[in-house]
Amino acid sequence: MVSDHEQVEEMARSFNRKVHFHDIPDAILSSIFSLITDTRSRNAMSLVCLKWHLLERSTRTFLSLRGNIRDLVLLPTCFRAVTNLDLSLISPWGCSIPDSSLNTTVLAQVLHWTFPSVVTLTVYARNPSILRLLAPQWPYLRQVKLVRWHQRSSTTLGSDFVALFEHCHSLASLDLSHFYNWTEDLPPALEAYPSIAASLSHLNILNYTSAQGFKSHELLAITSACPNLREFLATCIFDHRYIGSVGDETLLSLATNCPRLSLLHLVDSSSMSAARGDPDNDGYTTEDARISQNMLIEMFSALPLLEELVLDVCHNVRDTWIALEMLNSKCPRLKSLKLGQFHGVCKGIDARPDGIALCSRLESLSIKNCADLTDSGLISISLGCPRLTKFEVQGCKKITKLGLTKVASILRKTLTEVKISCCKHLNTVTSLQALEPIQDSLQRLHIDCVWEMVEQSVSEATSSAKSPGFKCSEKRRGIWEETNLKKKYKKYNFNGDGYASSTWAKLQYLSLWIEAGELLNPLALAGLDDCPMLEEIQIKVEGDCRHQSSPSSPDDFGLSSLRCYPRLSKMNLDCQTAIGYALTAPSGHGDLSPWERFYLNGIEKLNLTELNYWPPQDIDVNRRSLTLPAAGLLAQCRTMRKLFVHGTASEHLLRFLLEVQTLRDFQLREDYYPAPENDTSTEMRIDSCSRFEDALNRRAIPD
Amino acid sequence: MGSLILEALNVRVEGQGDKFLVFAHGFGTDQSAWQRILPFFTPYYRVILFDLVCAGSVNPDYFNFRRYTNLEAYVDDLLNILDTLGVDRCFYVGHSVSAMIGILASIRRPELFTKLIMIGASPRFLNDKDYHGGFEQEEIESVFVAMEANYEAWVNGFAPLAVGADVPAAVREFSRTLFNMRPDITLFVSRTVFSSDLRGILGLVKVPCCIIQTSKDVSVPASVAKYLKNHLGGKTTVEMLRTEGHLPHLSAPAMLAPVIRRALSR
Repeated sequence: MVSDHEQVEEMARSFNRKVHFHDIPDAILSSIFSLITDTRSRNAMSLVCLKWHLLERSTRTFLSLRGNIRDLVLLPTCFRAVTNLDLSLISPWGCSIPDSSLNTTVLAQVLHWTFPSVVTLTVYARNPSILRLLAPQWPYLRQVKLVRWHQRSSTTLGSDFVALFEHCHSLASLDLSHFYNWTEDLPPALEAYPSIAASLSHLNILNYTSAQGFKSHELLAITSACPNLREFLATCIFDHRYIGSVGDETLLSLATNCPRLSLLHLVDSSSMSAARGDPDNDGYTTEDARISQNMLIEMFSALPLLEELVLDVCHNVRDTWIALEMLNSKCPRLKSLKLGQFHGVCKGIDARPDGIALCSRLESLSIKNCADLTDSGLISISLGCPRLTKFEVQGCKKITKLGLTKVASILRKTLTEVKISCCKHLNTVTSLQALEPIQDSLQRLHIDCVWEMVEQSVSEATSSAKSPGFKCSEKRRGIWEETNLKKKYKKYNFNGDGYASSTWAKLQYLSLWIEAGELLNPLALAGLDDCPMLEEIQIKVEGDCRHQSSPSSPDDFGLSSLRCYPRLSKMNLDCQTAIGYALTAPSGHGDLSPWERFYLNGIEKLNLTELNYWPPQDIDVNRRSLTLPAAGLLAQCRTMRKLFVHGTASEHLLRFLLEVQTLRDFQLREDYYPAPENDTSTEMRIDSCSRFEDALNRRAIPD
Repeated sequence: MGSLILEALNVRVEGQGDKFLVFAHGFGTDQSAWQRILPFFTPYYRVILFDLVCAGSVNPDYFNFRRYTNLEAYVDDLLNILDTLGVDRCFYVGHSVSAMIGILASIRRPELFTKLIMIGASPRFLNDKDYHGGFEQEEIESVFVAMEANYEAWVNGFAPLAVGADVPAAVREFSRTLFNMRPDITLFVSRTVFSSDLRGILGLVKVPCCIIQTSKDVSVPASVAKYLKNHLGGKTTVEMLRTEGHLPHLSAPAMLAPVIRRALSR
C-alpha cells in the first residue's frame, strides 16, 4: 500500500514538473525558428548552443553577403539552407566580380556549393559577365533582381539578360528597378526567349536609376511577350508631345495583353525625379493627357483581377469620377489605388458618395495633384471607403484642416498610415492638429516641415508661463517666436477643441520633408513632442544652398532636438537634393562643408544605431562627397552600428570613423546615376575602401 | 622604389601621342580634378596623372611628417615618378602649389621640361614691401593660432573650424580646398606653403612658361601674374581666362582647355 501511494506521488510529481524548451521535438523547434526573420535575433539564437546553432542555420533562408570580394572564397559553409541570396552589397560596392583578379571558375563553384538552394538572387550586374558566371550555377532561379548604378557597358542590346534567360528556365520574377539600362534593351531579349517571357509573372521596370520612360511600342512588345504577368511596374511617358507616349490605345492594349494583372504601376518618368513641387501651383498642367474616361472604363473591365493600381500621369486627366465610379464593379478586388494628376476624383456634393468614394473596398488610397479635391470630397471619400488604413494626399491645393480632421475622425478605427505633402493650406501644425483623432493609432506619418506662423488659435492661449524657449537665429525664415506659448498650449487643454496631450502612442516611423536652410527644432513644438514608440525617422532636405548665405557656426539644423524621442535608433538623412558648391564656389559664396556641419551638428546626441546619409551634391561636377566637418561629426556617434554613406569620401576622412567602437558595417554606396567609375574618381579607389574595411574589421567589437 | 611610388601615388598614364603631358593638382583635390579637362588632351598626348602625397586618395600612412617639411620633398616625388616612367621630356601643367613644385623641378632638371604651364601660381602669399601677395601676416597668423590652439580638436575632425565663415575672408577662398585634406596634414602643409618664398629663385628658371590667370582669383592677385612674368628667367607669357575662381579646371574646363592647347603648341 505504501509503495502504491509512493508510486502515485512519484507520478504526480513528474506530471507537475515543467516541460523544458529542450523537450520540444526538433521538428517543432525548427518551425518556430523558421518564423523568426530578424537577423540580430537569429545571430543571438545561434550562439546559445550547438543544437540551436545547427537549427538556426538550417532554417536561415535569407542572407546578404557583406564581405570583401577577395574573401569570397572563404565563405562560411553552414548556410546551406539559404534560398534568398543578396550579392549586391559586396565590397567594394558596385565592383565587377569577374573583372577582379580572382579565379572565376573556382568562385562560381564555391558559390554553387555553398548555396545550393538559391532561388531568389539579388546581384550587382556591372556588366553581362557576372550573370554568365552565376546563372549556370543556379538554374532553378525563380526571382532575380539586378542592380546597376554605373554606366551601361557598350554591348549589344539585351546582352545583360541573355545569360539569365538562357540558363534559368524557371524564372518567374525580374526586378530591374535599380538597374540602369536603356529602354531598348529589354524587349528584344524577351522576344528572343519566348518561353521565359511567357512564364514571367512579375516584372518591375519602374526605374529609379534614370528618368527614361518606356515608349509605347516597347511597353506593348513587353506585355505581348509576357501575357501571364500578374505584377507589372513600369516608367512610361504620358506626355503626348513625345513620340512613343502612352495614351488611350496603349493603355487598353496593355490591359488586354495581360488580363491576369493584379498589380499595375504606371508612373510617368517626370515623377521619378522626386522633386516636391510647388504648393502654390493651382494643380493643372498646361497640357492634358490623352486619356479618356471611356478608355479607362474599358481598361478596368479588361483587368478584373486588379488589386493594386498606380497611375501617376504627368498631365491632366479630367472628370475622372465617371470612370472611378465603375472601378468598384469592374475591379472588385481592388485594395490599393494611387492616382497622379487625376482631377474630379470626388465631387463630394451633399456628401453623397461619388467617384472614388464608391470604391468601398479600398484599403490604401493616394491622391496626388488633384486640383479640385475639396474638403467635402475628402469627407465623401472617408465615408465611402471605411476600410482605409493608408491615406496620402499630395499637391492638393483646396483641402484644408477641416476636411482632414473629418477624415481622421471618420476613419479613426482603421487609419494607420498618413502622408500629407505640398498642400497649401496644410502646414505642419495644421496637419498635426487635423490628425489628432488618430493620435493614438497612427503608426506611419509623413509631413512637410513648413513653419508658417500659426493662426489665431495660438494667440488665444496666452499665458504668462515662461517655458525655456530656445534661441533661434532671426535670419532664418519662418522661425518660431511663440514657442513657449505653443508648448504651454499643447500641455494644457486651453482650446475648446478638446485637445489632450499630444502623445502619438503608436507612431513608429516618421518621414519629413524640409527646405534647405530651414531648421528642424520647431518640430517637437509643432505637436510631435511625445512619440514613445518612434524608432525610425526619414528626413529629406531639398533646395538650393548656393544662393543662401552659408550657415555660421552656432546655427545648426537641430538634429539634437530629436532627443525627445527616446527610442529613436534609425535615421535616413537625405540631403542629396540640397544643391551646393563642392570646390568651385565663386568668391563670396560658401561651399558645402559649412552646410554639412549645419546638418549633422548634434547627431551624436541621438544614440542612433543605424544611419543612411546622402550628402548634399554639387550637380555641376556630379560630386557627393563627405567633407571634414561631416566626417568629424559622424565619428562622434558612439552608438552607431551601421553607417552607409551614399556618396564618396576620401580615405583620410574615413579614418575618423574608426573611432566609433561599435561600428561594424560601413559602406560607401554611390547609388545614383552615373555612379563614379573607379578611374574618374580617385576617392573611390578600391584600395582605399579595402584598407578602410580591413581596419574596421580588425577591431574588437565591445558588445 | 620605382613601382612603389607609382602605386602609392596612384600614377596613371592615359591617351596616345608621342609627347608626354603631366597634370599636377593642387592641395585639397586629387587627380580627379582634371577629369573634365582630360578628354581634350588624351587623343594627342600621353597624359600622366598622379596624386600628391597629401591627397585624400593616398594612403595616409605614406605622409612622413619629417620628410615633407618643404616643397623639395614633393619635387623629389615628381622627379621619381618621371624617372620611373622613363620620361625624358615632358610638358607640365601645374595648379597652385604644383605650379611651384614644377618651377623647382625645372630648376633642378631643366632638360626634362619642354614647357611649364601654371594655373593659379604664386611665389609668395604674404605681402611684402612692394610686393602684393594677397595675404597679410596678421590674417594668416590668426588662422594658424586658432588651428594650433585647437590642434587636438582639429586632428579629430571636431569641426570647430570648417571653412567659410570661420576664417578671415582673405584666407577663406584659398583655404577652401586646403581644408579638404587630413587636418594634421593641412596644418602642417599650410605653414609650409604660407612661409615659402620662391621669388629669389624665379630667375633660375630657364624653361619657357605660360601663366594662366583667371579674372578673379582671390588667392592670386593679378599683380602676381605680372610679377612672375617679369621675373621668370625663361620666355614667359600670360594668358587671361575670362572666368573667376581658383579652380578653372573644375569650374570652366571648356574655356581652359583651348588655352592650354594653344600654350602647348607654341
